[in-house]
Amino acid sequence: MLIKLALRNVLRNGRRSSITLVVIVFGAVALILFGGYKARTFWGLRESTIRGRIGHLQIFKKGASKAEAHKPLEYALDDATSIRKQVERDPRVKMTAAQITLMGLVSNGEKSETFIATAVEPAKDREMNNQKITAGSDLPDNEPDAILIGRGLAQSMHVKPGDYLTLMTTTVAGSLNAMDVRIAGVFTIGIKDYDDRAVKMPIAGAQTLLQTKTVEKLLVFLNNTEDTEAVHNAFLAHLSGVEIKEWSELAPFYHQVVGLYNGIFGFLGIVVFAIVVFSVANTILMSVLERTREIGTLMAMGTTRGRLRAMFVAEGVSIGIIGGVLGLAIGGGLAFLINHGNVMLPPPPGYTTGYRLQIMMQPAVLLTAFLVSFVTATISSIVPAMKASRLKIVDALGHI
Amino acid sequence: MASNDVITLDGVNKSYKLGRIRVPALENVTLTIARGEFIAIAGPSGSGKTTLLNLIGCVDKPDAGRIVIDDVDVTPIPLHRLAALRLNTLGFIFQTFNLIPVLSAYENVEYPLLLQNVSRRERDARVRHWLGEVGLSEQLKQRPDQLSGGQRQRVAIARAMVTEPKLVLADEPTANLDSDTATHILDLLAEINARTGCTFVFSTHDASLIARAQTVIRIKDGRVDDILAARAA
Repeated sequence: MLIKLALRNVLRNGRRSSITLVVIVFGAVALILFGGYKARTFWGLRESTIRGRIGHLQIFKKGASKAEAHKPLEYALDDATSIRKQVERDPRVKMTAAQITLMGLVSNGEKSETFIATAVEPAKDREMNNQKITAGSDLPDNEPDAILIGRGLAQSMHVKPGDYLTLMTTTVAGSLNAMDVRIAGVFTIGIKDYDDRAVKMPIAGAQTLLQTKTVEKLLVFLNNTEDTEAVHNAFLAHLSGVEIKEWSELAPFYHQVVGLYNGIFGFLGIVVFAIVVFSVANTILMSVLERTREIGTLMAMGTTRGRLRAMFVAEGVSIGIIGGVLGLAIGGGLAFLINHGNVMLPPPPGYTTGYRLQIMMQPAVLLTAFLVSFVTATISSIVPAMKASRLKIVDALGHI
Repeated sequence: MASNDVITLDGVNKSYKLGRIRVPALENVTLTIARGEFIAIAGPSGSGKTTLLNLIGCVDKPDAGRIVIDDVDVTPIPLHRLAALRLNTLGFIFQTFNLIPVLSAYENVEYPLLLQNVSRRERDARVRHWLGEVGLSEQLKQRPDQLSGGQRQRVAIARAMVTEPKLVLADEPTANLDSDTATHILDLLAEINARTGCTFVFSTHDASLIARAQTVIRIKDGRVDDILAARAA
């Protein structure tokens, strides 16, 4: 009877309940769309960061992260090949890729700029697919002196594919060394500051320039990101003389974005919460005022204060459930349309390329949207319910 | 052992605040009402009839004096703690019917039984019995706005009686009805009183209703002016 009464009273003033439901549905849809967008952004940023740049795990020589190196590759992996063999035995590992990072000067004979180079295994780097070639071609497999150059650096140096540059850096022994390189292609990763300084070169070329046969680190890529911690623990048990870092420790930008979006999402949640609270509270308060005589009658007949409170809270619960379910349905429908509508967003700050708007329908997002609708509608019915239960019977019966 | 009096009022006073002035509504009212009586509280508008019914009905508290309902001294008990007494001992019939508009006739009558946690089968039997008693067996599913004034008051009577109360309080039960309908409602109340032995106390200034009462308590300016044993109902 409690539920029946609540539902019928919700439907009693259809227009007012509809307006309240619109507010709740609007809030739930906003939470679903923004929450889904946030989830998709986090997922996309995480996966692109891992698979395009840093891998799920990075293996260094023990002490590399704490020691202050005085020379390039002072803490290099001497036996990368044997480590790689052990690592790749694990079926959860998709591939490994050796890398060296180096800095130096790049010159076209007339002008010099600083560069930051990532030395990669070309075949593995193509698989990572983390860059867009804007001119020329990708790194060839067997050409140690071929490089890719960042779009901004190429513009600054006035070079194009096929041109030659000279790279100069300090060797592992501490002396200066230089080598001429051919520009195979121009690339961008979409971040201007990076593109203005970036060079990519084969590991063999970097080893020649640095005069070494070692590598700085080994990137480990897994089939499934969720396995990261388990694989990390397994490697710790098997590998010695190395230290292993997870992607999460190596991706400060990812954490900054997560923090920022969570802050915005939290603020949005508070706004939605406040709007729903006031809207539902207003609806039920109006209902209490209109039904004052009815409340008096119910109390005269022996309805207890607690039961009366429960009746009005049940109305808030009903509104919350109806609004939450409608919000899920409409939010889900809108998300489907957006995901299939190829909606493009402009480039975010610091980026040069836009991206496709996508909403990820995660159970946690849907549950949050429903719970916010349900809980706020319930909470906002408490004050009107208390007000109703404290009415004086004789005054309520005489209410006109 | 239960006493023969279902209501005892002893030196009851009640006043209301109107702005800064206290207006006396009842002054030193002392009376007893025996079980099974069919009693009219008569008097002009503003004489204190409704106030007296409210105090007997435990929906208002006296400023002074003592009220005993069905052997329970209700005077010191807060109103919200008298919900069970109102539910189990009293029945209310209002001038404006006061049915729950979103519930059907059946559900309106069923409501107090739900408060009493009566089993579903017994609820159904009692609701159908009392709606049959008031002649509304065919209108079980009708909502109040689909019923005439007389039918609504019949639903209200069934709702008041379904808990088998010891005392039914009716505030101007025929005031919103035409004379024919009012006569039928009166006949119904008197017949139920005679058959069940339930005490009926109703306020009225309707001469025809007063004429049907066994006893008439006349109220004037908040005081009991006279108690007349009228002709039998």
